[in-house]
Amino acid sequence: MAVLIASCASTLRVYEEALTKTASARYSVLFMIHGDANYVFHDTVGIAHFANEEALAKAHTVAQQNPEAEVFIFHDRPKSNAFLFFPQRDGDFFYYRNGRLAATHSYWRDEGVSRFATQAALYNQFSITGTPGTTDTSNMSGADARTSDSVVRMFVYFGHEIPEVEGLHYDASYPDSTLTIKKFSKDFQVFTANTKPFDLGVLSTCFNGTPYSVSSFAPYTRYLIASPTNVHLSYFDMAPLEHLERSLSNSDVHNFARKVATHAFNKLSSDVQTVVSVVLYDIQAVEQYVTSVNDAYMSSLLAIQSAPTLTLAHCDCADQAPFASPLMKNGVEVLYRPAQFGRDANKLQHSGWACWKLSK
Amino acid sequence: MKTRITLVSIMLLVCSLTMAQAQGKEKIQKYFSDAATEAKAASDPTEKRAILENSLSKMTKALDVVATMSSVPSTDLAGVQRLRASIQEKHDALAGLNGQTRIADEKLNAYANYLVQDMEQADTIVTISLVTLLLIIIIIILIL
Repeated sequence: MAVLIASCASTLRVYEEALTKTASARYSVLFMIHGDANYVFHDTVGIAHFANEEALAKAHTVAQQNPEAEVFIFHDRPKSNAFLFFPQRDGDFFYYRNGRLAATHSYWRDEGVSRFATQAALYNQFSITGTPGTTDTSNMSGADARTSDSVVRMFVYFGHEIPEVEGLHYDASYPDSTLTIKKFSKDFQVFTANTKPFDLGVLSTCFNGTPYSVSSFAPYTRYLIASPTNVHLSYFDMAPLEHLERSLSNSDVHNFARKVATHAFNKLSSDVQTVVSVVLYDIQAVEQYVTSVNDAYMSSLLAIQSAPTLTLAHCDCADQAPFASPLMKNGVEVLYRPAQFGRDANKLQHSGWACWKLSK
Repeated sequence: MKTRITLVSIMLLVCSLTMAQAQGKEKIQKYFSDAATEAKAASDPTEKRAILENSLSKMTKALDVVATMSSVPSTDLAGVQRLRASIQEKHDALAGLNGQTRIADEKLNAYANYLVQDMEQADTIVTISLVTLLLIIIIIILIL
């Protein structure tokens, strides 16, 4: 009975109420970690790791190492039952302010009207950026007193490739539900509804460096880091997000985004033998290219929508006639290293854009 | 008493099925990881190559057996065939067959890591049902 009561009870815990109300923050970071699927990978000595758990641990480290930031962490866990029969909440929330854990909450992922409804409610409840220009600065002094418009905002998403076509499952615990980048980005707008767009977004996922996926996030961020190829489950390393008061003291987001991308690329390149690509997209500068190929890309999505899943494959847009264009170089900074073995080992360059092809 | 035993048995079955569901793909990943670890621990390149070739051959045989089983759903067959083709490609690279350059002795450890990582990224395994994945594992165990 106690388990049943515990599983139904509200679990919002605020540890640092004063901190959430008065302390200032110059940076706001949102981590979203999908863990409701297979995220196991093995290191070079054969030890199994759970990528989502490791991403969660790193997010906590980033949060604790940021005395001038607020950090939101949302972790999607697989459904599980206590004592076999009592369902447990499958979403965890952690909120840090100025390096200290200020609040936690556990929730049901399917309790909201949209994918991120519950997360957005928590986000808006605590965020200093929730309502532009209204941050309480009465207890702050000098340079620390600032409105939410001057806060540098970032989001990082860890997960599998977010599908571009209908009908593909994403959450292992919800086999009847499907997810598309269109639905994901539409639901994601709740995080920018009351404030300015994010300054930097990171999609630590496979193959979301496509014209369609990147343009789907255009309304929500100025810069986006993503990959047009596979990303090994050891993921993009987010260590550069620690101590933002040092690495981003001048608020030069573009330069900072370069450092984040370069660090992630170098770490993956040293750890894995498979292909590594990390691309920084300047959303405004890539607009001309994604607009120019939009019709062709939507046609390709329609074509593959009706094709059997296993005949589909990703490719470099530069290798597909309708998408190869001089415009594709604008606004992208590509870090790429081919796989060390296999059929793509001889592909020495990548445009930074992924497209679809029907494999033979 | 009998009712109680039946109830406990059902609970254990539910529990083990839930665990199996999560571990279908993990078992395949672990199979390759174990082979890579064993190959890297070997000091002789010939032995390293043999261990890797052997693990790939067993998987190929298991996939061939599964592909002929009438109980395997047709929706899984395409995934099984694509996984087999991927494994054959890796086997060819090890042996230097079908136009592929033979992996050099000094690169065998790196190739073992590549094999594990590539299989972890293989979307084909995701598209194969749990039942078929478990069948593959069972057949590999029988081949051993």
